[in-house]
Amino acid sequence: MRLPPLRWVVLPILLVPLAWLLFTGLGRDPREIPSPLVGKPLPVLAGATLTGETFSSTSLLGTPFIVNAWASWCIPACVDEHPVLMDAASRYAGRLAVLGVLYQDTPDDARRFLVRYGDGGWPHLLDASGRLAVELGVTGPPETFFVDAEGIVIAKQIGPLTLETMAEYLADLGLSE
Amino acid sequence: MKGLALPVAAAALLALGALVALEVLRPTPALSPAEQAQQIAALLRCPDCQALSVAESHTAAAGAIREQIGELLAQGRNADEIKQHFVDRYGEWILLAPSAAFAWWLPPLVVATALAILTAWLLAGRRARAGTVESKPGLPAADRQRIRDEIERLDA
Repeated sequence: MRLPPLRWVVLPILLVPLAWLLFTGLGRDPREIPSPLVGKPLPVLAGATLTGETFSSTSLLGTPFIVNAWASWCIPACVDEHPVLMDAASRYAGRLAVLGVLYQDTPDDARRFLVRYGDGGWPHLLDASGRLAVELGVTGPPETFFVDAEGIVIAKQIGPLTLETMAEYLADLGLSE
Repeated sequence: MKGLALPVAAAALLALGALVALEVLRPTPALSPAEQAQQIAALLRCPDCQALSVAESHTAAAGAIREQIGELLAQGRNADEIKQHFVDRYGEWILLAPSAAFAWWLPPLVVATALAILTAWLLAGRRARAGTVESKPGLPAADRQRIRDEIERLDA
């Protein structure tokens, strides 16, 4: 009876959950926010485009598409990601559509970006009021939504896409070579 | 003096109760839409800054959310519906205070459990120690007898 046996029950009861909390908590990325839109229909994104037309995301239904929230000031992430988007758009032309959403940017700056880094020809919705960004729950560009032909959001990527991650997401949409 | 203590205490309690009742029952003045919007904005996290509410932030995203709060209020939606509107887009993350009830109950529950366990532990330790003192075996009877005999011999 030198050590009360309760001690050997109490210590693990207190320490194991604490260790578990610290372990899982420290491993989490505070910037990683799961999107509640995944598995749900994409909200209708409509308005004026960079080229002065009106456009609605409903016209994209029928083929899978990508919605990319970006900005010309988003450097280097959006610059790094741009060729990946260009590559996917040309590789799956006719089977995949792309829609840009300008995030807190001016049309002039956005046009300069496209002149400098290449224009894939897909529409870019202007979002001067920030309304579209709120509809998508965008916290900072680049953020990309992968939407199936029925308009359901399959996945969301926060941060720049690479050729590898893009290929994985596109495979989820049924697009692969 | 002693006989007065009870009535005085009762009167004080009654007075306190009346004050609380007055405070609870007092009709709260209706908030203007702007005040309501401000209240809701203070509960939402600004999406493009860290650790600021939508009400405090001057970023474009916070402005867009404030504008939408105003529009939703004008449509007759209540505070809970408006909060849900933004949770549906950003997730629970957008709320500065968690809405799940267990998030509020868990910490006090954990502390209470820990205190209970600690108390049980300390009590068990004390009881065990008290037990060891009592059951400490004395000298064997033969030794005791020998000591007694030795002392007697010295005295003699």
